[in-house]
Amino acid sequence: MIKLIDGIKNLVIGLMTTGKHLLRHNVTVQYPTQRWEMPERSRGIVVLLSDKETGELNCTVCMLCMRACPASAITIDFEKGEKGKRTLIDFTVDNTICCFCGMCEETCNFAAIKMATMYEFATEDKESLIWHKDKLQEMGRDVPYEKPVRKKPAAKPVAKPAAKPAPDKPADDAKPAAPVETNPPQEKKPEEEPKPAETTAAPEPEKKSEDQSPDEKPPEDQK
Amino acid sequence: MSEPQGLHTKEFTLNVGPIHPSTHGVCRFVVKMEGEVITELTPVIGYLHRALEKICENRTYEQIIPVTDRFEYCTAMSCNMAFSLATEKLAGIEVPERAEYLRVIMLELNRIASHLIWFGTTALDLGALTPFLYGFREREDILDLFEMTCGQRLTFNYIRPGGVSKDIPPEFIPKCREFLDGFNTKIDDYEKVLTGNPIFITRNKNVGIMPPDVGIAYAVSGPALRASGVKHDLRRDDPYSIYDRFEFDLPTGETGDCYDRYLVRIQEMRESAKIVRQAIEQIPEGEIRGKFNKMNFKPPAGEVYSRIENSRGEMGIYIQAAEKQKKPLRVKMRGGSYNQLQVMPVICKGAKIADLVAIMASMDIIMPDVDR
Amino acid sequence: MELKGLFKYLYELLASTGLPQGWVDLIAMVALALVVFGFIALVVLYLVWWERKVSAHTQQRLGPMRTGWHGWYQTVADTIKLLQKEDIRPALVDRPVYFWSPVVIFVAAFMAYVVMPFGDGLIVADLNIGILYIVAITSFTIIGMLMAGWGSNNKYSLLGGMRSAAQVVSYEIPMVVSICSIVLFVGSLSMVDIVQSQAKIYQWFIFRLPFGPLAFIIYLIAGVAETNRTPFDLPEAEQELVSGFNTEYSGMKFSMFFLAEFINMFTVAAIAVTLFFGGWHGPVLPSWMWFIGKTLVLVFVIMWFRWTYPRLRVDHLMEFAWKFLIPVAFINLILAALMKYSGWFNW
Repeated sequence: MIKLIDGIKNLVIGLMTTGKHLLRHNVTVQYPTQRWEMPERSRGIVVLLSDKETGELNCTVCMLCMRACPASAITIDFEKGEKGKRTLIDFTVDNTICCFCGMCEETCNFAAIKMATMYEFATEDKESLIWHKDKLQEMGRDVPYEKPVRKKPAAKPVAKPAAKPAPDKPADDAKPAAPVETNPPQEKKPEEEPKPAETTAAPEPEKKSEDQSPDEKPPEDQK
Repeated sequence: MSEPQGLHTKEFTLNVGPIHPSTHGVCRFVVKMEGEVITELTPVIGYLHRALEKICENRTYEQIIPVTDRFEYCTAMSCNMAFSLATEKLAGIEVPERAEYLRVIMLELNRIASHLIWFGTTALDLGALTPFLYGFREREDILDLFEMTCGQRLTFNYIRPGGVSKDIPPEFIPKCREFLDGFNTKIDDYEKVLTGNPIFITRNKNVGIMPPDVGIAYAVSGPALRASGVKHDLRRDDPYSIYDRFEFDLPTGETGDCYDRYLVRIQEMRESAKIVRQAIEQIPEGEIRGKFNKMNFKPPAGEVYSRIENSRGEMGIYIQAAEKQKKPLRVKMRGGSYNQLQVMPVICKGAKIADLVAIMASMDIIMPDVDR
Repeated sequence: MELKGLFKYLYELLASTGLPQGWVDLIAMVALALVVFGFIALVVLYLVWWERKVSAHTQQRLGPMRTGWHGWYQTVADTIKLLQKEDIRPALVDRPVYFWSPVVIFVAAFMAYVVMPFGDGLIVADLNIGILYIVAITSFTIIGMLMAGWGSNNKYSLLGGMRSAAQVVSYEIPMVVSICSIVLFVGSLSMVDIVQSQAKIYQWFIFRLPFGPLAFIIYLIAGVAETNRTPFDLPEAEQELVSGFNTEYSGMKFSMFFLAEFINMFTVAAIAVTLFFGGWHGPVLPSWMWFIGKTLVLVFVIMWFRWTYPRLRVDHLMEFAWKFLIPVAFINLILAALMKYSGWFNW
């Protein structure tokens, strides 16, 4: 008998709980007339960022994002100009493969590639999901970002030859870096980067990547 | 239930197919039944196999983290954590304090999110359609916290070897506190709908009893084992990270039936909320990642196995590394659901077909964990 | 705005056209049947919408919003879509059985409305066996379910059909016994008499403790089980049997099963209102408004049950019916007889 009363009481409590929810306001958003505001770190599609004044791509063709991508979704075509300076011919992101992990954004030191908060890019055929340089740049025009602060490399050429034979040294220097927000450990690396590229030939891409600061914290203000 | 003499029912085979509304993922059961009673059950798996372990052999250690996300996507943080712990053990990397606290916060929040999925799908399988929506509504708050921190809601790519990838933004802690303040009342709400409900109790009590020795023999772990009375939790017995600094209880059950598993998980949600509260109070300032050479990490040769307590049991990652190689030789992932699926034929024998659904829901088996 | 006068006026209009009396009666009956049919069909369309809205708001979401203001013509859109669907008939079904089962279920659902007292004088035919007729008609549905289960030539459908039949047959008994206890008091089977005996609010059977509320609860549980709704909807539980006996039906045939379930739900609620809540009696508003209003409240309660409770397993269902509801229903009957005999409620 007690079990019966207990059972009925619990059934009624259950009804009251759902009834309470009946009177509450809905928690859903009526898409597409209303949209949810995405947080700023939200990882949407990959876009290429351009300089705010000149409108040119920030990309220096260092190939780090291509190497970092676990899905090999990025393909970079470049050509070596005079003095070994690289120019970008085409930058392809295959959105059918991209897994939205954000590794490319993390490794880039030049604020050239970013994951924008856009998520509505469905198309009707697969080919239109493979985006090339123009589309990526166009998509990235309005994406806000902060360029990493880079001091001019004064008296740096002296340090340059010493840096080359000991590729791990820059990495050690980066270790005692101060809290996350500042960029000083990074300034050296981007400047050094193109210079070894001038003198060393292409067959040493692995070595070059070691010069980059792999173990420092990813810059906060690039996100 | 004895058959009267001379009355035979024919045994027939039913295929609870891979595409079915209540197998959690794509799992196929070939069920031999006599009337309503199951006599034999054979799970057929492999429908969700993605060769993740092989993929890991071709990626560097930093690149494997997004791959581990997809290993068990309901608790992606735990998978990241297991792999990061293994790598740290292999190479002796130290993790800063703040990173440890952030890891614990994220892991426990992910445990709550995973248990909320379990809660929703259990209720859904039994026919109560509303708690599913309630569970997912809470989960939205947790996923918002995750998205605010690392940018994604399901595959986080957050816990890296050496620490975590990004620091929490300033609005994280107030929002987390707000979530936790309301959370206990919400769990009480869910309990009001289901726990005392006589229909729910009749469906779950004394159904799918797993004796503790069977559980241990099949290497079942996690809440499914704790509900059978075995007080085994890797956060206590084999502490990793900084779990020894937090106070939390280990809920256990008595009989090991579906109802006990339900109660254990509901209580675990409360305990996880407790841990997150303590972690938020104690979190120090500092760096968020130790020394780790992202592009060129070459661990010393050797093999390591590290395990953590996932919401589904023990999750382990085994790495075998050769000398001076950027990519591991072999990565093996061990998930808890595999063993729980293996014990299903044993505990489902003699149950009715309607119980199969209840048992599978209460064991909290998800197929990506089984098939990898 | 009493409709009794309107119908009387229309009848007189028809009689004055000079046709023989038999023809006039026939035409009147057919017209009335069509009116009732149209009304019930309309009500059911809105019940479907109402169900979706109730379910959505219990789950803190909105439900249909785009088809009209808050989605009011969603069911119309769904029906048009279902009409356009291909009628897939598996090759090995038992053709006549497969074809006629939705018809049987749909017709059985409507036949109960012949004796439903929608308002004061608004009843198609005031049979003197009113409630007995309704009980007989609800048994018709079982035949339809068995036909659907058998004719589909499918293991799942057969299991579902058998379970449904067992369930409906078992829950008929407590339903009928609880109706008996009311009929005992009224002394007549006619629906109009039952309503008239509850003219004042304190005379409503729900308030005649202790057997009134008990009979109501038994009737409600048995009624929900009759219509195969959660918590008794295992025969059509998607999670286990992929929709039970109506697995093999698609398009319009499926919508007949679906609408028949809603019509049955409305019937159960309407009978409960007639028996326990005073039928059409109520101050100020016209009688049919009271009837429809009370029925809709009860329909809402039945829907509320669906979105709160998990479902019972088949053997629990049967156990509950035979070992609990039937004894309680009989005890209730005896209690009612004692009360009547002692003259307690003679006001």
